[in-house]
Amino acid sequence: MQHFWDQPLSWGNAGIFIASAVGILAVVIIFVTYAIYFERKFIGWMQFRKGPNRTGPLGLLQTVADVSKLLLKEDTIPKKADRGLFILAPALAFVPSFAVLAFIPYTLELQFADLNVGFLYYVALSGITTIAIVVAGWASNNKYSLLGGMRSAAQMISYEVPLVMSVVGVVMMSGSLNLREIVISQSGYFWHWNFIPQILGFGIFLIAAVSELNRTPFDLPEAESELVAGYHVEYSGFRFAFFMLTEYIYVYAIACLTTILFLGGWNSPIPQLDFVPGLLWFFLKFAVIVFSLFWIRATFPRLRVDQLMGMAWKVLLPLAILNIFLTAVGIEIMG
Amino acid sequence: MFNFNVEFTGEFVAFFILSVCAIIGAVMAINFTKVVHTALSIAFTFIALAGLYVLLEAEFLAFVQVLLYVGAITILMIFGIMMTKHDGEGQEPGRPLLETLAAIGCVCLFGILFYGIRNADFPTETIAFSEDNTREIGLQLFTRYAIPFELVSVLLTVAFIGAIALAKREEDPQ
Repeated sequence: MQHFWDQPLSWGNAGIFIASAVGILAVVIIFVTYAIYFERKFIGWMQFRKGPNRTGPLGLLQTVADVSKLLLKEDTIPKKADRGLFILAPALAFVPSFAVLAFIPYTLELQFADLNVGFLYYVALSGITTIAIVVAGWASNNKYSLLGGMRSAAQMISYEVPLVMSVVGVVMMSGSLNLREIVISQSGYFWHWNFIPQILGFGIFLIAAVSELNRTPFDLPEAESELVAGYHVEYSGFRFAFFMLTEYIYVYAIACLTTILFLGGWNSPIPQLDFVPGLLWFFLKFAVIVFSLFWIRATFPRLRVDQLMGMAWKVLLPLAILNIFLTAVGIEIMG
Repeated sequence: MFNFNVEFTGEFVAFFILSVCAIIGAVMAINFTKVVHTALSIAFTFIALAGLYVLLEAEFLAFVQVLLYVGAITILMIFGIMMTKHDGEGQEPGRPLLETLAAIGCVCLFGILFYGIRNADFPTETIAFSEDNTREIGLQLFTRYAIPFELVSVLLTVAFIGAIALAKREEDPQ
């Protein structure tokens, strides 16, 4: 895609830009629709229930029905809310989550933007979503949503630090921040993938990522039992749908990132299987990560709020620094 | 002086949009009366500036800018602000003479800057441009600028410990 940047902006090129953006949007929306469906199905099975099975064959249209309900619902804005910011916040949350998807290399050829600092791009943009969440909580003029917004911002900022630090080890091993080069450096057999030499970093990354996504066991921003619903208490209809969409797009982005950083991206586990297209391998690893997120949600209880911050600063951060140190020693000894 | 020869590449269009965004953000930051709105428009300016850095191929700088200024500093400001008061300041009475003078001053400043920039002859000193400038920054930091870099980290640590000490003292009154 990169070469279109240097050409004059003709209508054709502008058309290609727009068409690829719409294409990835369609892929993501289909992903979100079925991620929600499978999440409910899997959790249902794990709890000896059936999950959604009434709308459409096997309940496949359940999410479609839910979304159409949300879109047809009355759109309410509280009287004392800060109207402008209340309307702006869902869009402000959604736009960076979608922009994050531009840098993901699915295969060697299929990538929208080849950035030298791919991983930083993700972290930087997800910070903008944090602002949107705080603003949503503040603009609703409701104490529960304000508390939810504050918790969410504190949590996302705290866990961003170990998330970034845990990737430093990977960056040291591949010598580049460019995601494409990180994947290329992992080619070979599956024990060349970063998750074995970087097992500590992998663990820290997964925990911090689940927390960044505000999912169970770290879903304190929307802990139903204490906060009604969190920062989006006052939101309904399509504005609420935008927040949900944002959360699931981040699930997509984090699953892609984990695949790229630790599971060898589009590389096949053993070189003899190289005839299978890379996109398929990418998708398989991606699906495993998404499934583990559902699995974690179904099996772990929620942390207490005071344990949450201690976990980030007193456990994960020192471990991440230890991981950087060990990686440096390892590189020094083994070359 | 007024012949602008611009080629309409994607880069030029992006530059134009980003600079307009940066200016709008800055103007809004001055005009808003509620402090939260002001903080958000400053964040908007920061993002537009980061976009300009990307156009100049300084990706590392751009994303660190977003990460620190938008992700951390703006959120810190909003945190501080939302704990205080919610209502905006009332409109101040207009002062026509002062405003006219300020407008004339601004137009003059713009004229001088425009004249200066259009007439300036930038020396085109070509330094070997490296594709991977993030790596270049890292190499410079850890070889040539190692001592200033370490000094800055010591300074930051001192400030950090100082902040904790101050916060601790307020916590227990005895």
